[in-house]
Amino acid sequence: MKKKVLVVDDEKNIRLLLKEELSDEGYDVVTAESGAVALNMIQTEKPDLVTLDIKMPGEDGLSILRKIREIEYDLPVIICSAYSVYKSDFSAVAADHYVTKSSDFEELKNKIKEILSYDSG
Amino acid sequence: MGDSKAPQVDHASALDDRAKERLQHIRTADIIVGIPSYNNADSIGRVIKAIDLGLAKYFSDKKSIILISEGGDLSGTIDAVDALKDKHYFESSFIAKPSSYTEILVTKYRGTSGKGTAVKAIFEAAKMLNVQAGAMLDSDLRSISPEWIELLISPIIYKDFGFVTPYYSRHKYDGTITNMIAFPMTWSLYGRRVRQPIGGDFGFSLGLIHSLLSKDVWETDIARFGIDIWMTTVAICENFKICQSFLGAKIHDDKDPGKDLSPMFKQVVGTIFGLMKIYPDNWLQIKGSRPTAIFGFESEVAPKPINIDAENMINKFKQSVPECMPVWKKVLGEENCRKLEEVSRMEPQLFEMPVDLWIKSLFDFALAYNLRVDGLKPEQVIETLVPVYYAITASFVRRTQNLDSHQAEEVITNQCSFFEKLKPYLVERWESET
Repeated sequence: MKKKVLVVDDEKNIRLLLKEELSDEGYDVVTAESGAVALNMIQTEKPDLVTLDIKMPGEDGLSILRKIREIEYDLPVIICSAYSVYKSDFSAVAADHYVTKSSDFEELKNKIKEILSYDSG
Repeated sequence: MGDSKAPQVDHASALDDRAKERLQHIRTADIIVGIPSYNNADSIGRVIKAIDLGLAKYFSDKKSIILISEGGDLSGTIDAVDALKDKHYFESSFIAKPSSYTEILVTKYRGTSGKGTAVKAIFEAAKMLNVQAGAMLDSDLRSISPEWIELLISPIIYKDFGFVTPYYSRHKYDGTITNMIAFPMTWSLYGRRVRQPIGGDFGFSLGLIHSLLSKDVWETDIARFGIDIWMTTVAICENFKICQSFLGAKIHDDKDPGKDLSPMFKQVVGTIFGLMKIYPDNWLQIKGSRPTAIFGFESEVAPKPINIDAENMINKFKQSVPECMPVWKKVLGEENCRKLEEVSRMEPQLFEMPVDLWIKSLFDFALAYNLRVDGLKPEQVIETLVPVYYAITASFVRRTQNLDSHQAEEVITNQCSFFEKLKPYLVERWESET
């Protein structure tokens, strides 16, 4: 069964691009344009992993991450941000990994593959 | 299994009859805050005030108890508590006095002398009172504030966590046993990134207390300084929900690792190693690592600088080589032993312990401790690890002397990832020798 990845990003182009890239890798990809939508989709879609942007209108990604940890304690979350500065924010330690956005998604894809492999042994 | 009640084992109580009588009279409470103490009359007053104010500010609707579990001079601690009986500190705090004051109990614990037994007395009291949540705070804290109480207890009461560990802003050279061993070993063995597994200030649920009290460990190093890492490891291995709370700076009575940390080192590391044999299924199969939830508000505080005498540690390492080498030859893989010998011959000004050598050596020591290689006693193994720990700590100080605490933190985190990568070395050796 395909693993499901939830991509959370306010930029439509990034959502579409990541959906395409990760679908090509064999994942079932669903997307959310805001943290509030993402929290809802975590309950309804039951993703195996979340990629989370930080700078979004409304609630930011780090605040969403804290809420995710309350509702789905062990759900893998990878922060995928254009800014590296948030890496030193203590809230970011609750993420499995922190990837700085670039045109090349190799690091993100490798990390997703690595984290999802823990579950399947 | 989480918060399910574990079967009870009958051990001698750490509470004396007088304390039990008092607790029976109190009957129940919602919250207990315990302070394990050993002759800390000078600093404990400040800790009690912060706890009392925190309970009044954040949990005024709850019935709370403060219990000081003393291992040293009881009269000094009682005097320190008596000095607070007028509760004048409420008047200058802008925190409303509660309708009924929190009761403060002082007891001298019974049993093996050490922090773990002091904690056991607190757990027994928590169980007797059937509390909803508890917290434990070190008695030598200088930086505690009332907010710590909220941060350690709220995740238990309102978010259903079983164990809350602290997350401090610490100077890069504060907590070297944590940074060099406890944090990376917890990360790599059990796959859980808990930044301060031996922090000393924790929040806990009643379910966790039941589980901890059910174990027959109170005559071991767990009754001493092994208590903190034991609690963290049990919470991880028995699937209690764990989170971290950001408490700000930790300022306490600091210690130079090269001077007076030896007993603590042996008890903490001995417990880490010993637990590997108790929970093999919880680490041999674990791949990768998972983060831990975190609460709180990050304040930009500059932790108090800690000075470490790296030269002293390098000298201690070099001086110990002739005495330790016969044991190292039995404990370490051939290549690791040769490399360690090379390191010992380095000029002090060029001295450096490679990180991979440290990790593999530590794994070798863990193996020797548990598998009694060549008839070595566990105490001998730990004893001869101390100089190697001095070597890596001195090397860390050298590598990070020009880095700020954030940059040094990245070095520590990278080191943890390196532990994770080298874990197959330990697993292979363990599986081939058991």
